[in-house]
Amino acid sequence: MKILLIEDEGELAASISDYLKSNQVICEGASTLASALDKIHLYDYDCILLDLNLPDGDGFRLLSELKKLDKSDGVIITSAKDTLPVRLEGLQLGADDFLTKPFHLSELLARIQALVRRKQFNGKNTVRFREIGIDLLSKTVNVNDTPVELTKKEMELLLFLVGNQNKVLSKGALAEHLSGDMADMLDNHGFVYAHIKNLKRKLSDAGSSDYIKTVYGLGYKWQA
Amino acid sequence: MRAAAITLRPYTVLAINGRPDSADMKQKLLYKTQKAYMLFSLLILVISAPLFYFLIEGMYLEETEETLELHRKEFMTYHAPGLSESDIPVWNRMSRDLKIEAATFPLKRDSVFQQLYFDTLDQEHEPYRVLLSPVLIHEKPYHLRIRLSMVESEDLITNIVLLFSGIMLLLLAGLYGITRYFSKKLWHPFYDTLNQIEHFEIDKNSPLVLPETPVEEFQRLNTALNNLASRNSLIYKSQQEFIENAAHELQTPLAIFQAKLETLMQQRLTPEQADVVLSLSGSATRLNRLNKNLLLLSKIDNQNYGGKEIIRLKDVIEKMLGFFTEQAHEKRISVTVHAACDGETSSNPVLAEIVISNLLLNAIRHNAENGVIIISLEKTSLSISNTGPSTALNADKLFLRFSRPGTASHGSGLGLAIVKKIADLNGWTISYTYCEHLHVFRLAF
Repeated sequence: MKILLIEDEGELAASISDYLKSNQVICEGASTLASALDKIHLYDYDCILLDLNLPDGDGFRLLSELKKLDKSDGVIITSAKDTLPVRLEGLQLGADDFLTKPFHLSELLARIQALVRRKQFNGKNTVRFREIGIDLLSKTVNVNDTPVELTKKEMELLLFLVGNQNKVLSKGALAEHLSGDMADMLDNHGFVYAHIKNLKRKLSDAGSSDYIKTVYGLGYKWQA
Repeated sequence: MRAAAITLRPYTVLAINGRPDSADMKQKLLYKTQKAYMLFSLLILVISAPLFYFLIEGMYLEETEETLELHRKEFMTYHAPGLSESDIPVWNRMSRDLKIEAATFPLKRDSVFQQLYFDTLDQEHEPYRVLLSPVLIHEKPYHLRIRLSMVESEDLITNIVLLFSGIMLLLLAGLYGITRYFSKKLWHPFYDTLNQIEHFEIDKNSPLVLPETPVEEFQRLNTALNNLASRNSLIYKSQQEFIENAAHELQTPLAIFQAKLETLMQQRLTPEQADVVLSLSGSATRLNRLNKNLLLLSKIDNQNYGGKEIIRLKDVIEKMLGFFTEQAHEKRISVTVHAACDGETSSNPVLAEIVISNLLLNAIRHNAENGVIIISLEKTSLSISNTGPSTALNADKLFLRFSRPGTASHGSGLGLAIVKKIADLNGWTISYTYCEHLHVFRLAF
């Protein structure tokens, strides 16, 4: 998977690119609007991460340019400025998603994967990890053709863990993914533990190996 | 921040001028000037009426005595010389008011006095002024008794005094009315201005509009107030912008900080290192939360959440309840909902959700293990009650920014300030009470 990361903060760009690279995402960087425009003319990307405040212009210009070129690259806006008018303008100009800074890298990766899945959707929308198959359309999970009954939250959790395989995911990041904005208001992320426990049990009952590891003090990890 | 804090508590301004509870002791300006007028008028009236009475009476008495003397002189000049001794009984029979009496007691000089006589016609005693004078008729001493009725004079004096008092009263009443009318008219622009300032709120976007007045002093006052208000609004606005810009600027370094922490988490960490990373991550979350809430506050101030629509609080609560009951159960807190009706009101839907979630959040965060939360929705109010610390919270400070009850709380210190701000915006009132071991937040809409 190849994405274009348009971000003028070098440090942030480096962290994002490092994180994504180790999960089979090739990351090309652009720190100015001009270089980003050059790149979209030359190449196609599975997904474009777009920061709106660029030193040489407004990120919205890139969206209009994409439209003009009739390209169907998925675009996720990553912006510090999150107001309804900005969101609406972004979506109107063809952006697919909006992620407000600061965000968890794991959340960013999950959003990229979801977007790419939607874009490359060829009649089926499934995620496979060894013996586990997740069908996103029918919202069913199978382990070696044994159906597993998962709640909506457990399903989201599984997808998030598989997408971020081999990464340590903090309880905060997991809680935020599951409950959105509300999670970061509460310090208590115990409910994440409850969901993880249930998911683990249901998967192993269906005959799957135990991929979910607890990382001391920090959170959980999907060990591939 | 200071200007904002003051507008959150409109009563602070009142408190400086005089405590609100003593406000009804204060008197109106008009009343004060009128009081002086009235007291002076009353005094004049009380003093002048008797004074006038006695003065007129004195003058009248003097006049009467002169008349009596004149009668005596007349008698002595025209009648006495031609009067023989045998004529005296005849005279006395014919004359009612001038009698000649035998000198039964020694009388050296004329004497004038008041005496009551029985009037056989009216069947009552009438006051008379009497002159008793020693006279010689044909070398024999007699007493001459001349009298004048005072009845008519008394009536006259009373009438004159009454008339005078009446005119005086009319005059004073007229003066009172006229000054009252003109004072009111004169001070009208002042009260207009006062009204405007009382309803002026710096955090609302409506400017202070003070009308032109023809009175120079009031015009000066209005100009000064207009300048003051616009300067303050400007400062408030720039502070608002500063907060918003600062919060926005903080987002990027925060994003880098969080991203680096997550990168660090991927390394093989010793338990000690993991503890440090975890603690840093907690701080980052708090910082993020604080920043988001600051942004939210300034967004509400800048009317970014304008569109009001009819919402049903029951639906909002139901939408949030799933997440919050999950959270509550972890602390073994039981949540009870009494929804007597839909709780229809008008608000921006996003803001209504924020109000409910902030209140529920507090109810969970400050609750005790095995506690309870009771949500009860009525036609015009919503109350959220929870168990918690066994003392009442300081209701005055509760809704101010960054006034946390204790140090243990991990909140941003802005949750209730946001609730208050949204309530103000929607014309709701939020209040806090502590009764029967429950902390009750009541939202009246």
